[in-house]
Amino acid sequence: MIEWLHPAFVLIIGALFVPLFKGKWKQAYLIIPPVAALIIVVLMYTGMFGDIPFSAWRIPFLRYELVFGRVDKLSLLFGLIFSLATVPLIIYSLHVKSNSEHMSQLVYAGCALGVVFAGDLISLYFFWEIMSIASMIVIWNGATDKAHSAGMRYVLWHVAGGVTLLAGIIIYISATGSITFNGIEWSSSSATLGALLIFLGFILNAGVPPLHAWIPDSYPEATVTGSVFLSIFTTKSAVYVLARGFSGFGPLIWLGAIMTIYPIFYAVLENDLRKVLSYSLINQVGFMLCGIGIGTPLAINGAVSHAFAHIIYKGLLFMSIGSVLHKTGTAKATDLGGLYKTMPLTTVFCLIGAASISAFPMFSGFVTKSMVIQASAVGGLALVYILLQLASAGVFHHAGIKVPFFAFFGHDSGLRAKDPQFNMILGMGIMASLCIFIGLYPYPLYQILPYPVVFDPFTAPHVVEVLQLLLFASFAFFLLMTSGLYPPEQRKINLDLDWPVRIIAIWLKRFVKGPLMNFAAWLDSIAKKIASDFSAFGEEKEERVYIGVSVMLALLFLALYLIVEILYNWIFS
Amino acid sequence: MELMLVLLSLLGVIAYVALNYATKEPSHPQKDKLLAIYGLILIIMLIVSLFIQWPIEFSWQGAKEFYAIYGFAACIFLIYVAKVLRIVLPRDEDYYEKKEEGLND
Repeated sequence: MIEWLHPAFVLIIGALFVPLFKGKWKQAYLIIPPVAALIIVVLMYTGMFGDIPFSAWRIPFLRYELVFGRVDKLSLLFGLIFSLATVPLIIYSLHVKSNSEHMSQLVYAGCALGVVFAGDLISLYFFWEIMSIASMIVIWNGATDKAHSAGMRYVLWHVAGGVTLLAGIIIYISATGSITFNGIEWSSSSATLGALLIFLGFILNAGVPPLHAWIPDSYPEATVTGSVFLSIFTTKSAVYVLARGFSGFGPLIWLGAIMTIYPIFYAVLENDLRKVLSYSLINQVGFMLCGIGIGTPLAINGAVSHAFAHIIYKGLLFMSIGSVLHKTGTAKATDLGGLYKTMPLTTVFCLIGAASISAFPMFSGFVTKSMVIQASAVGGLALVYILLQLASAGVFHHAGIKVPFFAFFGHDSGLRAKDPQFNMILGMGIMASLCIFIGLYPYPLYQILPYPVVFDPFTAPHVVEVLQLLLFASFAFFLLMTSGLYPPEQRKINLDLDWPVRIIAIWLKRFVKGPLMNFAAWLDSIAKKIASDFSAFGEEKEERVYIGVSVMLALLFLALYLIVEILYNWIFS
Repeated sequence: MELMLVLLSLLGVIAYVALNYATKEPSHPQKDKLLAIYGLILIIMLIVSLFIQWPIEFSWQGAKEFYAIYGFAACIFLIYVAKVLRIVLPRDEDYYEKKEEGLND
């Protein structure tokens, strides 16, 4: 048995050395930290660091003990998928020259691993906050004015969430006396407020409406590779902490169910395909939260395995639309279409991602999402079941059909972009193979889930149910599309629930720049007038007068201080 | 049995791909054939479900073609709600930027 090495620190420290390398060497180096992190996680499964569960890296802090490495089935599953996904992601972004982009992405991925393995609330908070900052830098690397202001709004949301979480953690720790992060207790009334604030902080990162607007606002503004990273870590680490802390918490069922429906309308209307994918990300996280809320072993298995599959297919979808953006310079449905001939590989990858997110039989979403839906049926939650099935049809429509349709088929845009370079194809290829592998042979995934799996997705009723649901949803799309009733793409943005906040912020900015600044200038002028009247050193060369006065005043105070000091020593010694 | 399920799943994927190619513009040279394949697979799905022993967790699952009807209706419903929302929600792409520029006026 050897000493455990924290995979998060492998990525974070690995990121620091990126600027030392150039060209091909940099590309070779970039692969090392993610692969090393993945190897460590795989070794954990083999029992190299001890039997699971174990905890390592216990560090004393004040009168508590921080646990940086809490390794059990749940944290290991998320650790595996985060480190597994980072490898194709880094391969996909190898061509990028910017050091800052690579570094922020590696630190971001590292912090997500830190959150996953944190065994106490303090080290959790530590990684949680660095993760926000790192992801903000990932957004800023978009290097446009829009990316800059979107990153600013992003970090404001997360600072608000972070402060809420911190307040919650402090109240909770002082009420319970323990910093261990396990199921959050609601029992004692003094801990309730803390638990509630912690919950709020968590669901903000998960993107639960109405706290979701930062996702479609900022993810589409990042770089091609940045948005792929963003689509993976923040929301899914929130899913992890909710699964850990709030499993079986009733309100999550309904928040999750609403979360699956609400974004669909926006996804139907949106023109920017990366925005469509951001909204469908919220919708997919809804399925996970719903499962966590139901809280039975089947539901939890469904929620976390869906997170596992989701990371892969959502990454793949962002990669394929990213490739289109990379080659054509746009990801807007109005400007795209007909690319399937010149980008055949990207088209196939996008279709595989789309089939996976729609939960087509033999693709990854099918073997995971159905556990959540089944859990709602077994639990007798009829309305939830109906809503989740509605959302499933909706996902197929906006992510399964709309995204590939408007990018690669649809109206011929006249664009003749080619498939992207080899590293991007390879990254997408790995993700696509994983989607199909999990879909065809889910049993390895089922084995590493937190609870034993007694669920077989490949039964006749289930396969036919899903196929009917999906194909007839596509039939509705076909009828509306051919009869011209389908809402056409528009070069517009759609107001979301962040509208009031943004308008208030704009008013506030106006108030500061207008009346408040005028008032400040007025105060300034009065102060100047008084000062110049006092100084009587003459009116010419105002600045010199002020400098002279201030130097003289400083000397005067220094002299006074010395005198007082000497007197004091003389009297009391 | 397993083979049947794999076959059905493959048919589903074929229908999905056929639809994408058939609805693109300018029309695919084989458009009619693609649509015929798509339609045929839809009909197969309807027929297959007649022979399936549906588990009945909720009473409505007893209806044979429940999921086909529900999938179709769900999609129409979602798109029509979106169409209604389109009356209220859309703004110009530089909506927020314009609001901010109002500052210096």
